[in-house]
Amino acid sequence: MSDHIDGPRQIGDPSADLTDLFAFTSPENPSRIVLAANVFPTCGVDAIFSNAITHSIVVRRAKVAGIGDATKFETADPEIRFSCRFDGLERGAADGKPVQRGTCLMPDGQTLRFLVGDEKGASTPDGTFRIFAGMRSDPFILAWIFEGGAMRKFQNLLLNDNVLCIVVEFDTARVLNPEKGSLFAVIAETLPIPHPGAFVGHPPPRMDWVGRPEQTNIRLNNSGLKDVDDIRDLWNQQSPFAIDEKVRPLFLQRLKDSLANYDMRDGKQDWTPSALAADAQMFVDDFMLFDVAKPITDTSHLEIEKSTLNGKAYQTGGGRTVDADVIDVLMTWIVNRDREFLEGGATKATKPGTKNFPYFAAPNMDLQTVAETVDVSATPDKVWELIGQFGVAYWHPLIAKILLTGTGPGQLRTIETIDGKQIIERLDAVDNAGRFYRYANIAGLPVANYTGTLSVKPNGAGSSVEWRAQFLPNGPGTLITKTIVSTLFKTGLDSLKSRF
Amino acid sequence: MTEAAVFDSECFQTTDGEIAIVNLNSARLRSWSRFYQDPQRPGVAETVLEHEQLTAQFAGDLSALDRLEAFGEGLGRLDASSARTMLIQAQIASALHRFSDARHHLAQASLGGAPSADVERILLNIDQACGSHLEEVLDERRRIVAKSGRFEDRVALGALLADVGKFNDAEDIYRQALREYQDVSPFPVAWVCFQLGMLWGELVPEPQLPRAEHWYRKAIASLPCYVRPRVHLAEIYLSSGRTGDAEAALRPALASGDPEVSWRLADVLTADERDGEAAVQLETARSGFEMLLDSHLLAFADHGAEFYAGSGNDASRALELAQINLNNRPTVRAFHQTHTIALAAGETYAAAEILAAATMRWGSIASLRLSSVAHGSPESREGAVA
Repeated sequence: MSDHIDGPRQIGDPSADLTDLFAFTSPENPSRIVLAANVFPTCGVDAIFSNAITHSIVVRRAKVAGIGDATKFETADPEIRFSCRFDGLERGAADGKPVQRGTCLMPDGQTLRFLVGDEKGASTPDGTFRIFAGMRSDPFILAWIFEGGAMRKFQNLLLNDNVLCIVVEFDTARVLNPEKGSLFAVIAETLPIPHPGAFVGHPPPRMDWVGRPEQTNIRLNNSGLKDVDDIRDLWNQQSPFAIDEKVRPLFLQRLKDSLANYDMRDGKQDWTPSALAADAQMFVDDFMLFDVAKPITDTSHLEIEKSTLNGKAYQTGGGRTVDADVIDVLMTWIVNRDREFLEGGATKATKPGTKNFPYFAAPNMDLQTVAETVDVSATPDKVWELIGQFGVAYWHPLIAKILLTGTGPGQLRTIETIDGKQIIERLDAVDNAGRFYRYANIAGLPVANYTGTLSVKPNGAGSSVEWRAQFLPNGPGTLITKTIVSTLFKTGLDSLKSRF
Repeated sequence: MTEAAVFDSECFQTTDGEIAIVNLNSARLRSWSRFYQDPQRPGVAETVLEHEQLTAQFAGDLSALDRLEAFGEGLGRLDASSARTMLIQAQIASALHRFSDARHHLAQASLGGAPSADVERILLNIDQACGSHLEEVLDERRRIVAKSGRFEDRVALGALLADVGKFNDAEDIYRQALREYQDVSPFPVAWVCFQLGMLWGELVPEPQLPRAEHWYRKAIASLPCYVRPRVHLAEIYLSSGRTGDAEAALRPALASGDPEVSWRLADVLTADERDGEAAVQLETARSGFEMLLDSHLLAFADHGAEFYAGSGNDASRALELAQINLNNRPTVRAFHQTHTIALAAGETYAAAEILAAATMRWGSIASLRLSSVAHGSPESREGAVA
């Protein structure tokens, strides 16, 4: 994951854990830039910002100081810093649900109070700045499994996840003054708040920071490197834009080793030693580059760095949009140096970004669960013999006809019910020894992200059959949808009693 | 050096306890959802385990134990033979004090190819909780702390040092853990504060109640819903006649359903001569303990024994439970508890046998602890949830 749970220490308070950083041109107004930082991976549906952390997004002016194997990006003061803090909980007036407010200190000294979760956000009186903070659907796509030295395509591991999101939008000309240069570098960091009465901790007060995606979890903590220490916490304690010179060689060597390892993941060497060293030097200066005078698109992520390393002038604004498939961009670059695009098992996030402020999609609802069981007197093997074939579900009294496409996992069954409705489902996994199968609903039920399992287990001399599904209601409301699914399951399971 | 002097450098606040609990619950429900969606996905089962353990320990939610047990069984049905399942089942069994089961699962996990570091880490916790091979465990704990310096490793070492009577060393380690802490989660901080309260209030031969009170109050300030320091703080208040403060400490924890809260509240109400209310709380405590003992006997045997030896007023049930606990984990504290209860029950022969067994196993440590006046409730710590 981009920076999700990026070190043993971050496991402490997940709301301090920065997952991702974004920099893009406002879809609503091209004269404005949007910076966003997310915290708290897989936070559920009720998560709240910590009141013990300062969340900062920091921009510096940048310039290209070398190209090709001498690639170097230099940044300069002054910092343009946006710092948000959050209050403790207030009792909500209406439903008693707690509410939270926050304060953002803008680079020009203005402070802006805002209500967490308010999609309209809050704006400074002069309109220069606008801010939103609240839960959103996690836009990150991670559709690879990294196991030792191997990479395997997988579904998006962050499907249906939410994160806590801070979005700052501002007038580009007024805040960044691109007349003096249009290239910028940005990082986000979480810092504990000093407190006179507190009694824990010690300086330096840094918890987590993030520049380009995957500095920690992929580049520094490469699972393909054997017997190496986890140096992610040490990395997180570094000052952004100013890596300690004493430990810089350690990080540089790790990046070289890691990038060399990724280069050989496909069995082909695409990086010369000097180019790989230049790539490592570039990555150790970890900040995200964006150029406000050039187009920032869903595919421009890392283009500034890649073109410069290739000895060419960059063409885009780099940055990172909400919908950028940054893992595939990164993996393609470090595995085969853009020889061939590496596409993971998914290229879309749970929900795409939106064209309107705050640009990150509304949070995902909790998956609903329906589980029904029935006990029957027959042995598990006998019951499984009847119901264990995904494509032969005529034991269910509501099923009139089934049409099959394919075999094994991936097989589709198109069910026609006795009242003429059509349901399409896909077999995802089957284990006849364990007597269960798992499937997904493709169409025909008012649901999304539906995963069903049917299993038989021993129960005394007989069996217990469980039919379980998880899904998001998609249409008539939670209660009605759960009733539809529950009725389908109950009717089927009850019919088994009379068969054994 | 005073506590204040130790912590007079620049320090940082932790996340408000109420926010941390909301976030834990939110993340816990999400981890279950992810688990149901794809139970085989790397890391999802481990996250459920971690969230439920935190919930059991800090959120005052005893139903987390039932969920943990059901989770272990469910995982066994899904993926019975895998080393990963065995590792998780070992941790669940350990949390429920079913240490023999835990060792069995670990052996299976090891045979199944589980990483030896994971197996050894859990085994170390079990050995410490059972008071087995403590010299070796102590050496290993010290080695781990010297190598990793991680917060949880320091706390485990502190608990062990306290177990073997090295109280000053334990305090130093706990203080170091707080100084070195660089996170904002209130859970670890509340945990160490509670441990320091226990150290000064329960474990040292001559309890220093003002120091214990100081640390229990800090634990509660960090995490208001943390039940255990509330119970112990109320005991200190009650022992000094501050029944109003004791009741105020306990009332917010009643919703947890922890029978220990009702029991201590009954004691407070009795001291205030509110006998009717006390009787209600005592009955709630009795039925609560029996329910817990019915479902998780080994996890709550020592607590139940303490209750029945005290206001529960059933010496034979107390001795029965204390002996169950002693057989399960023959620690100094378990010997101490059983010995005290046997004496109080008039079972002098049994008490002498326990003393002899304790001396044989623990030598001078046992002599020191068992000769002292009975005080406090033996607490489960490392590897325990209750």
